[in-house]
Amino acid sequence: MDRWFLILATLLAVAAGVRGLLALRHGQKSGWTVWWMIAAMLCQIGYLVVRGEMRGACPLRSIAEISAYLAWSLTLFYLLIGPVYRISLLGVFTAPVVALFQGFALLPGKLDPTPARVLNTTAWGETHSAVSVLAYGALALAAVAGVMFLVLDRQLKEHHLKGGLFRFLPPVRELLVSLERLLWLGMALLSVGLIAGIMMPHETESAWEHVFIASGVWAAYIGLILTKWIRGITGRKFALGAVLLFVLSLGVFAFV
Amino acid sequence: MELVCLGVNHKTAPVEVRERFAVGITRLGEASQNLLEMAGAPEGVVVSTCNRTEFYLAAENASEVFAKLEKGLAEKVHGHEEPFYRYEKKEAARHLCKVVSGMDSMLLGETEIFGQVKQAYHAAHAAGTTGPFLNKLFQKVFSVGKKVRTQTSIQEGSTSIGNVAVELAEKIFGHLKNSEVMVLGAGEMSRLTAQALVSRGAKSIIVANRTHDRAIELAKEMKGRAVRFDNWLGVLKNVDVVISSTGAPHTIIHKAEIESIRRARKFRPLFLIDIAVPRDIEHTVGEIEEVYLYDIDALEQLAEQAKVRRVNQILECEKIIELELLKIVR
Repeated sequence: MDRWFLILATLLAVAAGVRGLLALRHGQKSGWTVWWMIAAMLCQIGYLVVRGEMRGACPLRSIAEISAYLAWSLTLFYLLIGPVYRISLLGVFTAPVVALFQGFALLPGKLDPTPARVLNTTAWGETHSAVSVLAYGALALAAVAGVMFLVLDRQLKEHHLKGGLFRFLPPVRELLVSLERLLWLGMALLSVGLIAGIMMPHETESAWEHVFIASGVWAAYIGLILTKWIRGITGRKFALGAVLLFVLSLGVFAFV
Repeated sequence: MELVCLGVNHKTAPVEVRERFAVGITRLGEASQNLLEMAGAPEGVVVSTCNRTEFYLAAENASEVFAKLEKGLAEKVHGHEEPFYRYEKKEAARHLCKVVSGMDSMLLGETEIFGQVKQAYHAAHAAGTTGPFLNKLFQKVFSVGKKVRTQTSIQEGSTSIGNVAVELAEKIFGHLKNSEVMVLGAGEMSRLTAQALVSRGAKSIIVANRTHDRAIELAKEMKGRAVRFDNWLGVLKNVDVVISSTGAPHTIIHKAEIESIRRARKFRPLFLIDIAVPRDIEHTVGEIEEVYLYDIDALEQLAEQAKVRRVNQILECEKIIELELLKIVR
């Protein structure tokens, strides 16, 4: 059942992305992206409920579960921020990333059909995993906004101002403001996750290794935000920083 | 009952003829009442803009209405060649659809005409000169106009340099209410472009000109402030948009100067509009990451591209109108 919910959520995210892109190719903006994503979100919640029941805990025990949870978190932040701040096309750029994370979770052999129940959970441990991955949702959305900025920046620099993509992308300044807000939000959550990670019981050395790497990621993000805040940084470097840090941190955690 | 249209516009009559037919906004209702009296028809609407005056009537006999109208309007035409165009039935409905869609406008796809026709219709409705026939027709035509404008790119893009500059500024900064604009050189082109930015809400205008008195004059006109020309770099720290149009025979803004204030600006985006010939801004300034540099050629090219895009949409618009006409005129 959990797998079916995730498959459906993935199909809905793919539909949101494809429909949005097709509309853009025709010089129009799809007004349906947000509804596709709401439907995807409902399916993701269905998956999380079923999977959580199976685990008896927050379903964050395997790379596939983390990936699916991250997709949920990304969708959540998109739905909280995109329509409220009217960040046009955010859904079209977010949907493929959501589909990608969920598609990864659905790869054969990744999502255990009979997961073991978690017997010894701790409040610090649960908080650490849930809040950290939630933070990554905000940081993923920041990366999405970064990509949007890079696309628009290139179009403006090279004077390629035709087509729906240019017409509907939000202004440069709004993208940079959203990017910064999302990074601050992500960092606030990541800080909570990190503190919980330090407080949770560490039985193995790899657990400390994990906390050490998380601290490195936290420091890198703080460096980026503070540079922007105190010294200033060009939009391109700021956006590239957000995208690269997200990809790098995902890559690092995939191997730890 | 059939639809009849008689009118003059920028294609058929010079301004000295069009002005004789022009009706002010406040007198549109009264003009519609006069129209009914003149044509002896039960329903009528007068549409009047700077480029056209058109009479729409619902009548039993079109040729009779045309004859009465021409007779009534003969005095206004006096001394000029026949300026009228006449449409009946489906042709008249097609023409009205094209008018509200901006396809018959001097500036293809312009948006103002839609509101002007609506205003004319409401004035006639309030004056009691419309009935079931024209009410139904105008409502349907408005929905066709909306459809054409939303389903095609007929109104997409800016077709003048000033508007292209505004569109780009909005693409970079969003609402211009938080943007400061600096004008270098107090010529006509920079004045027009700055005015376009001010009309879209630009926060403040700073003017620098070699002749300081002229800068003060322009700044006063724009409700901004003037700075000495030698001091333009000093105020650039807080500026978001620079419009440069001096008569200098050489470049006045160089890469090194912009580089020198990047830190102070915290690397915020800077939009440079160079509408001077010869150019005022060294082209390598555009290589700076946060700088978006557009010269007169780039702006003109964008305006031209928008015009071409609009022209390319005509066929698409006509298709929509023809399909909708099948529903309007059976």
